[in-house]
Amino acid sequence: MKKTVHVAEFTRLGGQVTELDPAEFIALPPPYDKMEKPPIRTLTDDQRKRMDTTLDGIVAVGLQPPATPEEEKAFIEKFLAGLEKLFSVEDNWTFLQPLMHTLEYCVKCQICSDACPVYVSSGRQDIYRPTMRPELFRRIVSTYVKKEHPLLRKIKGSDIELNWQTLARLAELAYRCTLCRRCAQVCLLGCDNALVSREIRKVFSQQMGIAPKEIHEKGSVQQLRVGSSTGMTPAALKDILEFTEEEIEAKLGRKIKIPVDKKGAEILLIHNAGEFIAWPENLEAFVIILDAAGVDWTLSSEIAGYDSINYGVWYDDVQFARVAIRQSQAAKSLGVRKISFGECGHAHKAGIVIADRVVAGDLNIPRESSLPLLEEIVMSGRIKLDPSRNDFPVTLHDPCNMVRLMGIVEPQRRILKKICPQFREMTPHGVENYCCGGGSGFAITQSTNFPDWRNSVSGRMKMKQVLDAFQDAPGPEVKKYVCAPCSNCKGQFRDMLDYYGAWEKSSIYYGGLVELIVNAMVDLKQPFIQWEWH
Amino acid sequence: MGTLIVVLTYIAYVFIVVVYSVKIVAWLRMPPHIRWDLYPVIHEEHYRYGGSYYEQPEWWTKPRPRNTWRSLLYSLKDNFYMGEYYERNRLYWLFLLPWHLGFIFIITFHVLCFFAAAAMVAGLDIAAGSAQLAGKGFYYLLLITGGIAFVTGTFGSMGMPIVRLADRGLRNFSMPMNYFNYLFFLVVYGSGLLAWLFLDPTLDEYRTYWVGLITLTPPELHPVTILHIVLFDLFLIYLPFTRSTHYITRILAYFFIRWDDEPNLRGSALEKRILGLLQQKISWEGKHIPKGKSWVEAAIESGLPEKK
Repeated sequence: MKKTVHVAEFTRLGGQVTELDPAEFIALPPPYDKMEKPPIRTLTDDQRKRMDTTLDGIVAVGLQPPATPEEEKAFIEKFLAGLEKLFSVEDNWTFLQPLMHTLEYCVKCQICSDACPVYVSSGRQDIYRPTMRPELFRRIVSTYVKKEHPLLRKIKGSDIELNWQTLARLAELAYRCTLCRRCAQVCLLGCDNALVSREIRKVFSQQMGIAPKEIHEKGSVQQLRVGSSTGMTPAALKDILEFTEEEIEAKLGRKIKIPVDKKGAEILLIHNAGEFIAWPENLEAFVIILDAAGVDWTLSSEIAGYDSINYGVWYDDVQFARVAIRQSQAAKSLGVRKISFGECGHAHKAGIVIADRVVAGDLNIPRESSLPLLEEIVMSGRIKLDPSRNDFPVTLHDPCNMVRLMGIVEPQRRILKKICPQFREMTPHGVENYCCGGGSGFAITQSTNFPDWRNSVSGRMKMKQVLDAFQDAPGPEVKKYVCAPCSNCKGQFRDMLDYYGAWEKSSIYYGGLVELIVNAMVDLKQPFIQWEWH
Repeated sequence: MGTLIVVLTYIAYVFIVVVYSVKIVAWLRMPPHIRWDLYPVIHEEHYRYGGSYYEQPEWWTKPRPRNTWRSLLYSLKDNFYMGEYYERNRLYWLFLLPWHLGFIFIITFHVLCFFAAAAMVAGLDIAAGSAQLAGKGFYYLLLITGGIAFVTGTFGSMGMPIVRLADRGLRNFSMPMNYFNYLFFLVVYGSGLLAWLFLDPTLDEYRTYWVGLITLTPPELHPVTILHIVLFDLFLIYLPFTRSTHYITRILAYFFIRWDDEPNLRGSALEKRILGLLQQKISWEGKHIPKGKSWVEAAIESGLPEKK
């Protein structure tokens, strides 16, 4: 019988709150049910000494234990000071109402648990219940911020004795939620336990300066410093675009000049700069389509203007606002009419929806998704397409940020139905989709054994969905394509398909939407999708 | 005793209305937040599959039709159905729904009692055999709402602790207050059920009680009915200390958080409010956040360490 984990166990000094047992993870269909390697690497003794690993033996944040009792006290006090700010209008008007509502009105009915892919995939580990971290958080608030009477706390069951390790576990636990918000979608009371994960991350970042380095130092900080989280400077961008133009010429048989910093263009396309390096074919496909359709567009070479990412949306309001403002400034300086976001889910949500109440006045430049534009181009017949070129099984992954959190559901489907004869849906799909497992920064978090956890736990439900979608042709003899119109999701698919050996076992490949469009274009002599790149 | 229940009832109603109002006003007075919408957004044209106005090119140039009535009906419907529970935890739903229906119907019953009593003061005869149609209507309406309230409330209050103890997840997140609530509510509904079944099958005593309240005449009632009324008054006073405001705040959360897809258009009232909020000083202590600056000032700075 599964051991029940109580909130009180988060305060226990030493020991791990939960031991993950891969045998309990949800089953994948054969041959994926028998992994040849241990699903999650065990941390070394040295890593265990340097970082707190007492939540579940996985490390995303990796807080270093305090050296002295004074250090521990100072840490706790600083955290509690930050916690108070979370409930002030001045410091947290941005999310005060949704946060207060969830903390006040969640009845812990557990209806959200079965909606959570992490909880279900893990074999229903209590620590991953969407209600667990808010409950731990709520007790800290009740005891140390509201300072409720001890008797009342006993009646409400909200008493807690805080120590450093509890906070270290809370910080880690906030990074075991992909912020996919499936839990919030099923809540009849309008509560949003995923938001609590984000707000916990926010206290750690905005108050303590603590966040996974891939998200903060190498992410938003690097983007603000050099222009992109990839480290790509404007000069490097120029080189990459020249290379892209050469690649396009080789594939298309003619040269296309990629417009950069074109004043007065109709559209500023902000692409995820990670694509330029990891999946240059995605940018190439955009260039080919926009050129063929005669769209007046440009890229920007200004700081943050050529990278659509905005990691602040996952953990830090200030970092978020900085990037959003710089992206708008890039558009303003070019005098474009609108900003269009490329295939990147979190950039969509951040740049179009969240930034909506951060940028104002002349920085409030109209922003939209590139998917409706692509749909318009495909459906209008402006480019000639031959669907038989895409006559292989294709399924669609719905990036949470774009679909459940933004309501962009059908344009990508209408395109796929037109150009992919063997298109099939996953179950469930659309706004009820499952996260790829790499959401909220997980796809870029590569330290210690976190990628193993991401692939074997948080991405497991998606892996199962993909395999189920292709169950009519499970073997490697038929090439199959997972269309993921999101850079982060693609990063997760790249790692996850490799982790499970999905190319070798099933010939499952992944890529974006525009690649499929270009692959169907009659202008191209050779197929655009290069399967051997798996 | 009659005087006591008249006074207590007035105190209970005034208390619950005032505290509920304060809570709801406080909820509504919180500042506008960053958009955090979640689809499907029911007032949207393509709500059936969860589509939004972002599915159109240049959405800001297009009309954004919204159906507020549909949203309202959708949000109210779940008070009487609780579909997610039905789909995901049938056993829990079996007791949770009656428990909630008990609450909704007992409040409805008392509101109807008030109108019935007012009508009686005005001369209406409320009885099964009343010559007046309205009198008959009130009689059966009260019987139905009161009966449903007592039966479902009692059933739900008995079943909820059982299902909570039987379910590992629910048990782990239970607090002493949950079990106190079940017990207290069982006593409230159960006393009403007993009084109805064995002493007052026509619910005549309730009408007498409400006429007494309206005319400020202490009513003469059976001790069991008095016990139920006193318990019910205490129930009303206790409710604001529970999460019961969720009957209302859940609808507010739908409208003002989950379905809040109002874009911040240039020159709008929303933009003015946002600009005001952005001028507020922040006090976060992370090294990347400047001290003593406003949101706008902090956002304009890059937060990077200065070059030496």
